[in-house]
Amino acid sequence: MTNASRTPSAESRDLYLPVMAAITDIRKMTEFETLYEITLPGGAELGHQPGQFVEVSLFGMGEAPFSVSSSPTRKGSFEMGVRRVGMLTDVMDRMQLGEKIGVRGPFGNGVPVEKFKGKDVLIVAGGIGLVPMRSMINYVLDNRGDFDRLIICYGARSDGELLFTDELKMWADDPRVEFHVTVDHGSTAWTGHTGVITTLIPGLDLDMPQTRVLVCGPPVMYRFVLLALRSKGVAEENIYMSLERRMKCGVGKCGHCQINSSYVCQDGPVYHYPDLKGLQEAL
Amino acid sequence: MVQYLLEDSRVVDFVSHLQACKTVYAPHRKGTSSFAFAPVDDPTAVVLDYNRTLHSVKKYFLPPTETLLSFDLRTNEFTESEIVPCDAVFLGVHSYDLRAVHKLDHNFRQENPEKNYLRRREEAAFVGVSFEPDAFHFSGSVGIGSRDSSGFDVFLTRIAAGYILTAHTPVGQELVDGFVMPEYTGDLPVPPGFKQHIYVPQDKLSEVFEHSYRNDVWLETAEKCVGCGTCNLVCPTCYCFNVEDTVEITIDGGSRARTWDGCMLRSFTEVAGGEVFREESAARQRHRVYRKFKYISDRTGEPWCVGCGRCNQACTAGISIVSIVNRLVNDYDREVVETA
Amino acid sequence: MAKPRVGIFDFTGCEGCELNQLNFEDQLLDILGHVDIVEWREAMDGQVDELDIAFVEGSLSTPECITRIHEIRRKSKVLVALGACAVQGGVNAMKNTRPIEEVREEVYGDQKYLFPTLPALPLSAVVKVDFAVRGCPMTQIEFLKVFTSLVMGKAPIEPDSAVCVECKLKENECVVDKGMICLGPITRMGCGARCPTFGQYCNGCRGLVSAPNIEGMQEILVEKGLAMDEAWKRLQLYNANQLEGVQR
Ligand SMILES: Cc1cc2nc3c(=O)[nH]c(=O)nc-3n(C[C@H](O)[C@H](O)[C@H](O)COP(=O)(O)OP(=O)(O)OC[C@H]3O[C@@H](n4cnc5c(N)ncnc54)[C@H](O)[C@@H]3O)c2cc1C
Ligand code: SF4
Ligand code: SF4
Ligand code: SF4
Ligand code: SF4
Ligand code: FES
Repeated sequence: MTNASRTPSAESRDLYLPVMAAITDIRKMTEFETLYEITLPGGAELGHQPGQFVEVSLFGMGEAPFSVSSSPTRKGSFEMGVRRVGMLTDVMDRMQLGEKIGVRGPFGNGVPVEKFKGKDVLIVAGGIGLVPMRSMINYVLDNRGDFDRLIICYGARSDGELLFTDELKMWADDPRVEFHVTVDHGSTAWTGHTGVITTLIPGLDLDMPQTRVLVCGPPVMYRFVLLALRSKGVAEENIYMSLERRMKCGVGKCGHCQINSSYVCQDGPVYHYPDLKGLQEAL
Repeated sequence: MVQYLLEDSRVVDFVSHLQACKTVYAPHRKGTSSFAFAPVDDPTAVVLDYNRTLHSVKKYFLPPTETLLSFDLRTNEFTESEIVPCDAVFLGVHSYDLRAVHKLDHNFRQENPEKNYLRRREEAAFVGVSFEPDAFHFSGSVGIGSRDSSGFDVFLTRIAAGYILTAHTPVGQELVDGFVMPEYTGDLPVPPGFKQHIYVPQDKLSEVFEHSYRNDVWLETAEKCVGCGTCNLVCPTCYCFNVEDTVEITIDGGSRARTWDGCMLRSFTEVAGGEVFREESAARQRHRVYRKFKYISDRTGEPWCVGCGRCNQACTAGISIVSIVNRLVNDYDREVVETA
Repeated sequence: MAKPRVGIFDFTGCEGCELNQLNFEDQLLDILGHVDIVEWREAMDGQVDELDIAFVEGSLSTPECITRIHEIRRKSKVLVALGACAVQGGVNAMKNTRPIEEVREEVYGDQKYLFPTLPALPLSAVVKVDFAVRGCPMTQIEFLKVFTSLVMGKAPIEPDSAVCVECKLKENECVVDKGMICLGPITRMGCGARCPTFGQYCNGCRGLVSAPNIEGMQEILVEKGLAMDEAWKRLQLYNANQLEGVQR
């Protein structure tokens, strides 16, 4: 190992200083979830990949990680979908157009989009997991020629909790998208599929070797989705999953996000499933 | 390399000599029977014969609490905190503690080199001193001898008459320049042995740990462990931290600071809604020990424990990382090696 | 934005926590600037119908207390328990471990039947407590933190690690090395390890961390030289209510 003593640290960076960015649009999606459009100073690009996240800071409240929900192909600003669950997200919920938040990032590895090019893309998203997946979906739609089929399976607890309802309609109507949606408990007005997300998988018509799967949802979902995919015959090496852990620094220093030997903020949040098998704490 | 004799009677002069060049940090007595690094004010208060300090010199490069930025809530603007490099001499550092600094160098450089740590640390000069292993040291088992001078600018090896002084780098040479000492031509007595050992060569540890994830020792240790986090907080190679904002009572501003944290603490992996990813005490203990002997080691080829013995000495429940590792080694030998 | 309307109340306690006795100096002025104190038993008369924040000191030990705390809860949006008595039942709770008759006899002598007493209950045994400022007397910096958070409209962060953490952050010499018996390893931090920093042992006044390993702690106390029942008594001093039902 090298001794860093007196070797120049010119390459070292300020990792913890945010950039102040403006909230330029606010769209309430459900009682608890809101979509924010964020514009960096001078309209600078965030420069992210689908699947990456940013650390948002509100002074006095602290920082919290949020996935970037917009595709990098949509320029000039980026979007985040935020669920109100605690201290910082409560305050975000009360914020107004034009107010500024601190942003650090983008962080994490993001989706290895190259691995999906020329393939059938199957996206399995549960609940708030659609927020990061939407970045990939729109990326595929904006580079439609680079990918083969686009199949989306999305599950929410109830029809009142469906996110991005305008876009869901567009995807359902778009002949280039095979869109499947289910809710655990539908209201009386719900006419669509009812049942947990895994019930969508057996009915899919998949071209196995051609399909690459991307999974994102609440922790309980993964094991069941994996079972369903496996019994469908999807090979493990064709599965990618996006994980969530407690995070603080976002840059592989603070240790909070670690699962076994892996820093989720650095080696993840998107993992190739075969790599996860050595990480007992992952699923 | 020239060896000089620094007689006991001249140690105070030597400290004063160093002080004339730079700020000097060295071990001092603390409380009834402890030691701690502190800036030298009175050279006679410096103690070079000590077993271990409460904290290692890590505290100067990664302070227990460090303000990252201050903010103004009226304008929603922030000012970054100034990072002051430790342009100083760290005198009386033990070999394992310098090795721990080198490990932190790796952690704070990898992938995203962190300015805060690296700027603070880059100007530091180290004058090491050999130590006599007590009941808790076991650095010999992780390849760090009590007289290991690697990485030091100047090293002092204890002998009956005082110390053998050697300068190992140009910076070290500069530090001793102008301080006249006789050359030492005598023999080097055999170093005192370690009283604690891990009973397996370092390069076998990874294999042992490969096999130990479900060992009973984790549950057995969890019965005694009270989860106080002390073993993390005293460890010279632990570097996890928490970040929190504090608002002044006037509610017009405040600051964001990071504070040492530790994976033995239950709240370490707690997320919104109260879910704790590493809820079991046994899983936390395992994580700590795997961090020291497997996770980082697999990437770097070295154990991430330097054998200082602090965690064992400071644990009120008497939990010993050496006993844990030896237990794993034993079970591995019995279950894998012998049955093979 | 209208200033939060604040009420301050006290029940059975040793009065060590009372806000006006604490040494806030100029900070108290800063505080008062952010809120309207509309009810404070000591300082003003009269009652109001609605409060944003109620700060409540002391534990509940008579039926009258129970009625009053329900009333306070009903009219307050946020209720904050102040000090060990309010949070854990405090030293008062020691009497829970003895038959209530015996305590009454001792305290009130012949008149015991005129004063029905309950075991000294923490507020949370009767009403929902939103936040806590712990300690005996309550920890001042924590009070200021909780206060600023509430004024800003955010939930205060409750520390949930051991006093040892703060003790180590200060690089204190561990008092156990001096032969003392210290409850720091399972006591909730937030006081800045006040006692060990002054060379004293921690007697657990801030209550226990969540999911404490009580048997493990008992073992440590016995290992350090306490008899089993002494160890138990030491643990009970401030935490009798939390220890109820735990195997000795
Ligand atoms: C990679 C990643 C991507 C995420 N993307 C989204 C998203 O797109 N939309 C969304 O609504 N939420 C997302 N989350 C979860 C979001 O970060 C938490 O809901 C948020 O931190 C809660 O903060 P709070 O202050 O409101 O809650 P509190 O409970 O008050 O949280 C206090 C602190 O605990 C930590 N914390 C609590 N919950 C979490 C958590 N689930 N993950 C990480 N840290 C946590 C944070 O450090 C936070 O500052 C993501 C989390 C991760 C790790
Ligand atoms: S110091 Fe001992 S009791 Fe405390 S967390 Fe570490 S192993 Fe457990
Ligand atoms: S794990 Fe224990 S012995 Fe090893 S370096 Fe850390 S404190 Fe020292
Ligand atoms: S003095 Fe008490 S609180 Fe401090 S480290 Fe020792 S046991 Fe923990
Ligand atoms: S050290 Fe222990 S007894 Fe002292 S104030 Fe803190 S919690 Fe209370
Ligand atoms: S969030 Fe800090 S290491 Fe990953």
